[in-house]
Amino acid sequence: MSTFVQLVLRSLETGSIYSLAALGIIIIYRTSNITHFAQGAMGMFNTFVVTFLFTTAGMPLWLAIIGGMVSALITGFTVDFVIIRHTKKVSPVAKQIITLGLIMIFVGVTPFLFGVDPLNLPQLIPTGSLPVAGASISFNGILNIGFGLSVMAVLFYVLQRTKWGLAIRTTASNEFTARLMGVPTKTVTMVAWAVAAVLGVLAGVMTAPFTSVTLNLMDGVQLNALIACVLGGFQTFYGPVLGAYIIGIAKNLLVYYVSSVWGEQLLYLGILIFIVFRPYGLIGKKIVKKV
Amino acid sequence: MKLKRPSFIVKKNAHLNYVLFGVALCLVPLLIELGLLRNSYLTLVGSVIIYSVAAIGLNLLLGWSGLISLGTAGFMGLAAYISAYATVNLKLPFEIAVLLALSIPLAVGILVGLVSLKIEGLYLAIATLSVSEILRKSFEEFGDITNGFSGKTASYPKLLGFFQLDKYGTYILLVVVLVGVMILIHNMINGQMGRALNAMRGSEAAAQAMGVHLLKYRLVAFALATSLAALSGILYIHFIKYTYPPTWTLGMSLNILSAIIIGGVRNIYGTILGVFVVFAVPDLFLKQIPYFGAMPGFAYIVNGILIIVVIMYYPYGLIYLGNDMKKLWGKVKAKVKP
Repeated sequence: MSTFVQLVLRSLETGSIYSLAALGIIIIYRTSNITHFAQGAMGMFNTFVVTFLFTTAGMPLWLAIIGGMVSALITGFTVDFVIIRHTKKVSPVAKQIITLGLIMIFVGVTPFLFGVDPLNLPQLIPTGSLPVAGASISFNGILNIGFGLSVMAVLFYVLQRTKWGLAIRTTASNEFTARLMGVPTKTVTMVAWAVAAVLGVLAGVMTAPFTSVTLNLMDGVQLNALIACVLGGFQTFYGPVLGAYIIGIAKNLLVYYVSSVWGEQLLYLGILIFIVFRPYGLIGKKIVKKV
Repeated sequence: MKLKRPSFIVKKNAHLNYVLFGVALCLVPLLIELGLLRNSYLTLVGSVIIYSVAAIGLNLLLGWSGLISLGTAGFMGLAAYISAYATVNLKLPFEIAVLLALSIPLAVGILVGLVSLKIEGLYLAIATLSVSEILRKSFEEFGDITNGFSGKTASYPKLLGFFQLDKYGTYILLVVVLVGVMILIHNMINGQMGRALNAMRGSEAAAQAMGVHLLKYRLVAFALATSLAALSGILYIHFIKYTYPPTWTLGMSLNILSAIIIGGVRNIYGTILGVFVVFAVPDLFLKQIPYFGAMPGFAYIVNGILIIVVIMYYPYGLIYLGNDMKKLWGKVKAKVKP
């Protein structure tokens, strides 16, 4: 039993990481109609910025993280301002490929700026743990879970209750009509890219202590976040978050109880079969295409 | 949208053009023997040919059918490992190994094609990505067959059981396969299948209403794309003679995808040009540039920027560059004359 609780607690932590990344992907998808394959790459780049500020510039970790968030804001703004804004006429397939190009640029720029050696980033709270029902969870784990949940709570509050959220939701629903109604869709899209980049770096900073900061830091997170979006459906903001937690829990349980080598692959296979039967995800609705 | 046709491709003699292109490629070993080209260029041009085969297959999906697949690398790797295992461990003849290495990825490809009927564009991209991830993980874990991270070696192919090819012979084989693939795809896209795929890309509902069998053509497109990826994997293992799991990651699929976009979507020569830009130009030219050349990841940055710039400003690809230059030159001339 205690192992099970331990696994679930640990999964909630990975779930938070995946859901932050997935939320970034879904915000971009809803406002710009782009599948954001570069979410992980941008998060990886900005995590390198955090690590650089922490190790080389000698800042305290919390300040370095804030620095990384600022740099994420700037990268998000830049990507939208320089590229995405000018792709209104590009076909949806080509738009997805633009983000693949973005991956290449970020993966190429990072070793140039920060060197090729793997770096290390410590946890925000290095020691201490809390016993829960025979299991234990580190304070840093609690911080990750709590922080992830509160970021999501704030985002959902903004989306559902504020004028800005309304602007984002109208843009997501129909960009052309939104523009006719006086919604500044260009600014909305730009803010969406910045928010997604910040969510990316938060996920990156949470992932980094488990491994070392390398170019592949976010590959797993990116893949799982995308699959979370598929599982939850691309039509709602909360679907992917739900999907991310399900994936986090299912993955750890499969890895522990079924097979430590094949657990993750079994999960992917299961989700593949799932989307064959429910092509629009857990919460998604079928979009009726008019001819 | 009307597609311009590059002027140097004469429609009537398309097949002859492909054969001439192949003959031109066959001159590379000759030039190396004469000392006009460096020895390493054979491997370089050979790799361009190998990746071109996979890229032409993916172009059939991406360009003509409008379906994104991110699983190319997985299928290439699968075929490479099967072929290596069959020839080295099982001591099967080359031809049977090829058949095996083609049919297993083909079966997987058909399964994915069946799934693709259910799911739409971006779901499909992610589904193929996870198929590729599962395959890559298998390459790492099935050590008995794949030799894990130490990598698997194979030898140059032995045709019909007695005709052992050397390096140049294998190279010629690559060229022959490439020309064959070019002619095959050319015939397909200019025939009924090409028209059906074009109609499906425009509007599935309309195509279906006009009597295009969606299941059939999607399956054929997927089957062809995966078997060409598999073919490319077979050529890879028997020309490069070595493979290990990190070769077949998402990066490889992305490179092949970007080659198509950069070179020219829905264009056979364009695909090859794109593969040349993505895989050969970094080695040939970019490394010569002072300071930047030595930078890690420089080729990656250049490719990324190229993809974005080409998509934004030159959606038909670099293959039309020569054509447009000529037109521009014609305009300038016409202005100057009077």
